[in-house]
Amino acid sequence: MSNAGFNYDMLVIGSGPAGQKSAIQAAKAGQRVVIIERDSLFGGACVHRGTIPSKTLRENALRVKNMRQNAALADFKLGEETEMVTLIDRLDEVLKSHDKYMRKQVDRNKVERIHGRASFVDNHTIRITKVGGDTTDLHAKTIIIAAGSYPRTPDNIPIDHEHIFDSDSILSMLYLPSSLTVLGGGVIASEYATIFQALGVKVTMIDRYPTPLGFLDSDMTDTFVKAFNNMGGTWMGSQDVEKVYWDGVSEVVTECADGTVIRSQKLLCAAGRLANVKGLQLENAGLALNDKGLISVDENLRTNVANIYAAGDVIGPPSLASASMEQGRRASCNALGISTGVMSQLIPAGIYSIPELSSVGLTEKQAREQYGNVIVGIAQFAEVARGQISGNTEGMLKIVADPQGKKILGVMLVGEGSTEVVHVGHMAMLCNADVDIFVESTFNFPTLAEAYRIAALEILAKRSE
Amino acid sequence: MSTEGNLLSSQAQLLAEPLEHLINRGGIEVPMLPEVANKSLLLAQNPDSDASEMAQLIQSDQSLAGHVMRIANSAAYTPMSNLVSLQQAIARLGMGVISEIALTAAIGAKMFNTPGYEDYVSGVWHHALTTSLWAKEVARHCRSNVEVAFLAGLLHSIGRPAILQTIIELAKKQQVALTQEDVHQLENTYCHRVSVAVVNLWKMPILVIEAVSAYSDYNNTLTISSQAAQVTVGARFAAYMLTPERVDKETLFILPALATLNLYQDEVENLLNHTDVIKARLGGLSS
Repeated sequence: MSNAGFNYDMLVIGSGPAGQKSAIQAAKAGQRVVIIERDSLFGGACVHRGTIPSKTLRENALRVKNMRQNAALADFKLGEETEMVTLIDRLDEVLKSHDKYMRKQVDRNKVERIHGRASFVDNHTIRITKVGGDTTDLHAKTIIIAAGSYPRTPDNIPIDHEHIFDSDSILSMLYLPSSLTVLGGGVIASEYATIFQALGVKVTMIDRYPTPLGFLDSDMTDTFVKAFNNMGGTWMGSQDVEKVYWDGVSEVVTECADGTVIRSQKLLCAAGRLANVKGLQLENAGLALNDKGLISVDENLRTNVANIYAAGDVIGPPSLASASMEQGRRASCNALGISTGVMSQLIPAGIYSIPELSSVGLTEKQAREQYGNVIVGIAQFAEVARGQISGNTEGMLKIVADPQGKKILGVMLVGEGSTEVVHVGHMAMLCNADVDIFVESTFNFPTLAEAYRIAALEILAKRSE
Repeated sequence: MSTEGNLLSSQAQLLAEPLEHLINRGGIEVPMLPEVANKSLLLAQNPDSDASEMAQLIQSDQSLAGHVMRIANSAAYTPMSNLVSLQQAIARLGMGVISEIALTAAIGAKMFNTPGYEDYVSGVWHHALTTSLWAKEVARHCRSNVEVAFLAGLLHSIGRPAILQTIIELAKKQQVALTQEDVHQLENTYCHRVSVAVVNLWKMPILVIEAVSAYSDYNNTLTISSQAAQVTVGARFAAYMLTPERVDKETLFILPALATLNLYQDEVENLLNHTDVIKARLGGLSS
């Protein structure tokens, strides 16, 4: 098909972080671009059901936790009938400004937006079905699939959005429950479990693995579990959930394989997310899902069909909004032959639990597997003046260096401020700086960044051992 | 049902100003939320309450207790079984369902004094009840909490009987002769504002107040739009189910609220397939 036969140079399916950035990148390169979004709201699940709403709740949970900690200043207790909406009070404002900003950016770049469902007719043709049933076929030279993901529902969890919720519906609860069971040990489960616990809800977190957030080092997850327990939460690892049901009266019952029974007022199932590809009719374009139910791409984010690229949650981990944005931008650049340089593998991960966790580079475990006797430096936030001043003493920072104690292989933090402070280490790694940079540089005092110097000094001391 | 903005007849105009005045100063007479309804709502939401407290509350009103047992034993709720005690009914159906039954029994057409319009008010209430059941079904499909949808659906038109009662009383007091058309024109003009006033007075949860407030303008804000849209869709589905001869089925597929909820044609068709379930539940609740 000649270029003249195409309605658009690029058609993007999905308006989340990956879709937006790919569309804007292509438009900036002078392409005619359209975004197809099945949801009437622009921005994807990240904006409307996930990242932004949960972080808004988190801010209030932190306030509640701090007020409780400062009982000497204010004797604080949440009311028995606290409505969820009062705990997400600024959400409307936050979403409105975000929506306005996103739409303005897309419109300014002359990217068209269409509300409808997309499905492949062939590898260049997408059928748009509007809510009212009207259909239109659009032809595009390049297609980028950035359709995002949705919560996975295991067969034995009867989610009813009334007593048993998934991560999309949990924030639509009318009242703050007295108790909550959280199934899962991943990022979403850890975030919601700790946020609700900080709000005074009695939370029990159940997962089949022995520790939550198993992709992090055990000292980090131990600190996380200890902080969760200190708030009153219960972590139950190595448990297989056999059955979940609403008892018909007032509680959700969770039965584990070993006979343990947990009762709670509400339950959240956070059992991972699945690629949002239902209805796309990928087979019409010559595409197929891999055995994980994801779309496979090469290093250029290209699928096995030459003119079709994919980015974001539909291609699998790391499934972070930050990574998805960069994947989206790169997918466009690659499709258009724009040079991008090598995509850095150093993608920081941020977990917005209470306390926060963050990491960049290799974990200690991974580093030992690859490099042998690596040198590790640790700083407890309790040793840092800023940590003491703000009562943020539960956290720690860990630097993993190569066996010579020079090259920084990874940085991990747990504790409030981790998702910001990690970027100091991230930048040092991107610049290939040695561990020494943290000792030779001067940091503001008192700040949590001072922990870098303490951890680095430990590594320097171990070099000579 | 709304014809807001229609020109009022000269007779209706005579009452427009005093009605405006009454609404603006919060002077519309609204019955208090019956204590049993209020308490059952609170009990259902209170994590520390148990079935015996709910049973005790319902037993305090003999006719309500009989009503709840009749509904609990209806085919819609417990086919093939015979519940003999309230506690058994609560254990079987759950506090939430029993609270819904008590709420719908306690709030209803009989709360308002509307001589000459009893059948009409009964129809309005029947439609509201059907709307609440449909709104709940739509909310579940949209992966959203169903409690707000049920309450907002039930109360979205509570202002109709309230303003109707006021219009009838005011017309009598001021000796203004109104035709039925005049009455409905006035009712349509003011019912929404009164509905909002009632849910505020009854101290309904914030989300319910927002959903009822945004019902006639459901695209008003980003976060409330879905709940108000659920009620809008619920109200249209209810109208179609109750009076299919007056609602063209095709119009259900092109409601603007469907776009807000991202309900595509096949999903609307799927939802409409639940009509028999909704009818059975409605039969149970209004038996």
